[in-house]
Amino acid sequence: MSNVKKHLSDYQDFTRIIREFFYTRQVTEVVTPSLLEAPTTDVYIDSIEVSVNQAISKPSKLYLHTSPELEMKRLLAKGSGDIFQMCQVYRDNEYGRINSNEFTMLEFYRIEFNIHQLMDEITELLAALGSNATVKKLSYSQVFFEYSDIDILNSDMSDLKKIANKLGLSSDYDWIEDIQMLLFVHLIEPKLKEIPVCFIYDFPNQQAALAEIHGPIAHRFEMYLSGTEVANGYQEIQSAQDYRDRFNTELNKRKDLSKPFEFLDNSFLEDLEEGIPKCSGVAIGIERLYSSLSL
Amino acid sequence: MNYNTSQFKNGLKLMLEGNPCSIVNNEIVKPGKGQAFNRVKFKDLITGKTLEKTFKSGESLEAADVMELEMQYLYSDGEKWHFMDPASFEQFDLGMESMGEAVNYLVEQDSCIVTLWNNNPISVTPPNHVILEVTDTDPGLKGDTAGTGGKPATLNTGVVVQVPLFVSIGDKVKVDTRTNEYSGRA
Repeated sequence: MSNVKKHLSDYQDFTRIIREFFYTRQVTEVVTPSLLEAPTTDVYIDSIEVSVNQAISKPSKLYLHTSPELEMKRLLAKGSGDIFQMCQVYRDNEYGRINSNEFTMLEFYRIEFNIHQLMDEITELLAALGSNATVKKLSYSQVFFEYSDIDILNSDMSDLKKIANKLGLSSDYDWIEDIQMLLFVHLIEPKLKEIPVCFIYDFPNQQAALAEIHGPIAHRFEMYLSGTEVANGYQEIQSAQDYRDRFNTELNKRKDLSKPFEFLDNSFLEDLEEGIPKCSGVAIGIERLYSSLSL
Repeated sequence: MNYNTSQFKNGLKLMLEGNPCSIVNNEIVKPGKGQAFNRVKFKDLITGKTLEKTFKSGESLEAADVMELEMQYLYSDGEKWHFMDPASFEQFDLGMESMGEAVNYLVEQDSCIVTLWNNNPISVTPPNHVILEVTDTDPGLKGDTAGTGGKPATLNTGVVVQVPLFVSIGDKVKVDTRTNEYSGRA
């Protein structure tokens, strides 16, 4: 068999296992639009803008989706139940050995699951894909205690700036979550290279994104495979008002950074009038997962 | 002159904590929900130590005025080691502390790489392989030509290297300067 044919057939086997994993569990495969009317509000993710319909005198601007998250949440709000999707997503200003403007994302939502049940299900998916490595689970706070002497949940901005300075790093950051991430990238992530599968959960509430907040923590998790971030999941917030507040927080930060900030996806918020059911959802980078499993 | 993170690449020489450093590894890390960072490993060109720093993308560092020139080793006066740039005939000298391992491998007239920072020499790198003469070693066993065993030999620079039993005083041997290992008869 030619090399190309072998690669294509291996990759097909891999995606087939993923699809069958969900079919067996009655999780419905969906397809949602990838050309959207509003760009993402995420402060550090940039949508790619496309101009359409110039030649037919109906010019307009659309945006390639950076993740199928909001379109899938519209389906959840309409009563879809458990759903999954594997699709191409697009992000501007991404570059590097493991970053690119286009990649494949597996995104799925499980009704009534909390993040621990979702992490268990991902572990089962890894096993179905042939990985039997021991799985390590640490909270964000524990991982900082294990690999540094920082009490991350009880450190304020000035504590963290002092630590950064002591390490010879810039402390020129406007938001505490950015300096938490700097210390995570500098001190913690290199240590995770030794761990085949590591879940980190319960992030500081400043890094909540779209996850439920309980006191100082947000019920959010990431999965690292040998030190590379491969998955990001939330116990999802449910009401339109919560989404509106979180989007506005991000848009305000975009404004401070002189990035485009004028888009709030009102049609999404309208579809969410009755909220989405209690659920947890996760996005998994498929190329990163595939390459770490085939090593 | 400054370089920002998007221009970082291996071998780039930058100023860090007052010392000239060379980038050994530059890793771009973009957290799913955060800004991009560069996690960079540097080698301090003066101390030889490795440093790891993380920058947010867009940060910049001052360039280090570092040049690597091929020079000829002239002689040592016991305190200083003297070199000459064969292109300009300009002479430079380094003290013992900056010579490092290079003292073990250089004989007069040899070529080597001298690293200059702001036109001052800070380190010397010998060629990967040098040819040195054995000045002292125990006599080998007669008939042992296969080189199955080994013995220490002192070479004309004073360095001691494990050599095969058949090597004797006066022989010229080839030494790998990165590992301090015998790599053949010259």
